[in-house]
Amino acid sequence: MERIVNDFTINIATANGTGSQSANLILLQTMFEMGVPVSGKNLFPSNISGLPTWYIVRVSDAGYQAPGDRTHIQVLMNKDSWVGDLEKLEQGTVVIYNSDVKLPVERDDLILYPVPMTRIARGLNPKLARMIANIVYVGVLAEVLGLDEAKLEAALAKQFGGKQKAIELNLEAVQLGRQFVVDELEVSDPYVVEERERDPDAFLIEGNEAVALGSIFGGIGLLSWYPITPASSVAEELIDHLPKLRVDADGKTTCAVIQAEDELAAAGMVVGAGWAGIRAMSCTSGPGISLMSEFIGLSYFAEVPAVFWDINRVGPSTGLPTRTQQGDLTLVYYAGQGDTQHIVLIPGTVEECFEYAWRAFDYAERYQTTVFGFGDLDLGMNRWVCKGFDYPDAMDRGKVIRSQEALEAIPEYGRYRDVDGDGIAYRTLPGSGLEPILYRGTGHDEDGVYSENPEIYAANMQRLARKIEGARDQLPAPVLREEEELEVGIIFYGSMENTIQEIDDILEETGLKVSQCRVRALPLHSHVEEFVNRHETVIVLEINRDGQMYGILRTELPIELVPKVHSVSFSDGIPPRARVYAERIMEVLEEVHE
Amino acid sequence: MTIKLNIIELPKSDYQGKPSSLCPGCGHDQISTVIINAAWENGIPPERIAKMSGIGCSSKTPAYFLGKSHGFNTLHGRMPSVTTGACMANKELCFIGVSGDGDTASIGMGQFVHAIRRNLNMVYIIENNGVYGLTKGQYSATVEKGSRKRKAEENRQNPIDLCAMAINLGCSFVARSFSGSKKQLTALIKAAMSHRGIAVIDVISPCVTFANNDEFFRSYGYVKDNETELHSPDYIPHHTPVEEVDIPAGEYQDIELFDGATLRLETVGNEYDPSDAMAALAAIHKAEIDKMHVTGLLYFDAEQRTLDEELSLSDTPLVDLSDDELRPDEQALADLLAEFRS
Repeated sequence: MERIVNDFTINIATANGTGSQSANLILLQTMFEMGVPVSGKNLFPSNISGLPTWYIVRVSDAGYQAPGDRTHIQVLMNKDSWVGDLEKLEQGTVVIYNSDVKLPVERDDLILYPVPMTRIARGLNPKLARMIANIVYVGVLAEVLGLDEAKLEAALAKQFGGKQKAIELNLEAVQLGRQFVVDELEVSDPYVVEERERDPDAFLIEGNEAVALGSIFGGIGLLSWYPITPASSVAEELIDHLPKLRVDADGKTTCAVIQAEDELAAAGMVVGAGWAGIRAMSCTSGPGISLMSEFIGLSYFAEVPAVFWDINRVGPSTGLPTRTQQGDLTLVYYAGQGDTQHIVLIPGTVEECFEYAWRAFDYAERYQTTVFGFGDLDLGMNRWVCKGFDYPDAMDRGKVIRSQEALEAIPEYGRYRDVDGDGIAYRTLPGSGLEPILYRGTGHDEDGVYSENPEIYAANMQRLARKIEGARDQLPAPVLREEEELEVGIIFYGSMENTIQEIDDILEETGLKVSQCRVRALPLHSHVEEFVNRHETVIVLEINRDGQMYGILRTELPIELVPKVHSVSFSDGIPPRARVYAERIMEVLEEVHE
Repeated sequence: MTIKLNIIELPKSDYQGKPSSLCPGCGHDQISTVIINAAWENGIPPERIAKMSGIGCSSKTPAYFLGKSHGFNTLHGRMPSVTTGACMANKELCFIGVSGDGDTASIGMGQFVHAIRRNLNMVYIIENNGVYGLTKGQYSATVEKGSRKRKAEENRQNPIDLCAMAINLGCSFVARSFSGSKKQLTALIKAAMSHRGIAVIDVISPCVTFANNDEFFRSYGYVKDNETELHSPDYIPHHTPVEEVDIPAGEYQDIELFDGATLRLETVGNEYDPSDAMAALAAIHKAEIDKMHVTGLLYFDAEQRTLDEELSLSDTPLVDLSDDELRPDEQALADLLAEFRS
């Protein structure tokens, strides 16, 4: 039998709240330490304990990180999803199952490895048997796939944070799992993990932790937040890291963290802190953005710096709270009543999560407005390979007047007077005594005084549009990977980065060479228009139903370019699988060519 | 003629604002005047004050006082959250928040109670007239059962008593006053400015346009005839030694405030102890049953820690920290990455 090395997908079906996440992360970390390109996706329910949860491990020398089209190895631990999980499996799939569950596995076209995991676990510690059974499957997989023993031990020690008793107990469970395979099973599957050269600089990290760290290194002074999946871990990681990174000589903190009563208040605190001169941020998801919209509009109109991270989950409404989507793009781009438009930074990697977290503050203070970080559950809550973070540039605090001399140097100062043509006016801070005004969300003239004057209102709105327009080419440019042919160009953004190469390769197998353009910010950089201009047909790829980026492109591109732009948008809550999108791209191209 | 200056040698004009655009005779304008007097007489530098408000008639008033102070006329019911953020940025400012009964007791109830719960260091004034003025006089949630505004049915719903609520939440300074009681209101607002922690002052402030008829419990006529004063408050600033002030003829109680000032409560009728929350709630309930308004310092507790203290914020206000103090250095990032890689 031909061996299949480092190219398969494992699906682990467990029950939520049984400690399986620890087991899965140990597995992921072990393979990562072996230098094997691997990614993990946690498909978890909105539930504390009991409902089915799945963890997908993609092992791929090609570097593919999407969930993959099919499962090659299925681990069955959960009686509730047992039948459904089995039904989906293709012929030849390996099934490692807990034989103590006492449910039938009535398929003779699969490779079956029954293991009495509960019994093994009970033998070790009857009270913790449910948890330990999960570690037993780690041992079984380790033996079947040939995982490195020392690296597995190290990963396990890391997961249990040096708690010696837990480490010993779990190591024993791993050993028993391994031993059972050796003693009782005839291993007859082709799947093998082989060590590769390990990049010594790389480590695994979740996008949300990278956002938290980027904010800390960006000089955040206030985080106000309301708990919500999948954004809470941004706040929790920030809280974890602050004591080490942001404590002054007296042992006091230089960053306030407030768990607000709701997202209305969380956003209000951000606006208040930004108004008073510090860098403030909140992290939330779609439902929170809905509530924050009134303050986002205020930030836009009163011109107060504010940073909001939307870790997108599936909408509409409460939607699928623990699943991933890019469904909030237009929501964040235009949040608030009236004519509004916001700067949106869209990281596609964990490195960019860190970078955009500190850059967001620079942009917010430079443009005196709301800046969004736009991530999603997939990027935010799963662990990704990271090469490291670059130290941020010097802070850009924007046009803030801090002294009488600086004030006098500005001809005709007015809080909302554009004295140099970039649409951005100078501001002074409360406490400074310099040109104080009463900030307001109502109409105001160039001096900040209440006004309903039609000319003043219209001119102010034009200036605001000019200000945001001026940001366009100052924001991160798209990442372009172009083919010589310039026939088909794919525009995509965010966490689709982790699937695009596999899509590209599937298309290339059919003889189709496509260029890639990964958008990293809104409003769209002029390079995006140039990319569209250069290609014959452009497809906008995204993880939502309606093609929201496609809609934005239609609005912002010159009208003559619009006919060559097409949409491929799909969302079912699962991180994007390459074949689903590749097939749709081919369908659209066929229609275009007809 | 010499212009009178305060202790920091500023004229009162430095504390005034733009002309009011509220209805002539509005109670809110009287409160604005009291705020101007209190800040001037207390000698607070205008630039050290931040005036905050939500939306509504009352929330417009920061335009009419303290023109040399920065301010923020925020969103409906959201003044407390904006003040919270601003206070974290600059904890040394004196925050004066002005809100109304609609702004606080309805749309902003959530933020009001949570600002109290956090003991945010601010003065929170509610200009409470029982109606929504800007939208033409609808009842608000503080209007008393049985109260009736002009050309309308009487209100049949139970009122929300913001002082009782604040006391139940453990608010460190709770007072009720009347826009027509200038002396009492001035003493209470001055004391609130000298207090560290949240000071809630619920001020009955009649709406002369929509609800100033005698059947309305918050009209001038009604309040004048139905006010029960707990005591007669007198404010003695920190720069006046309390021993040099004449001792009142009757009973009194002195309350020491955070900045060294004293609030002297002279007994009127029965003795009242503002450290007794039960007595405060009883007084409010009795007044409600009697269709009266009880005014004065209802509750006071100097011991509570403020939000910035609870969070252990750096001694220097965050806004005054340098970029280097706000950002860990390159070595910190290198150490962190090394830890991740190990």
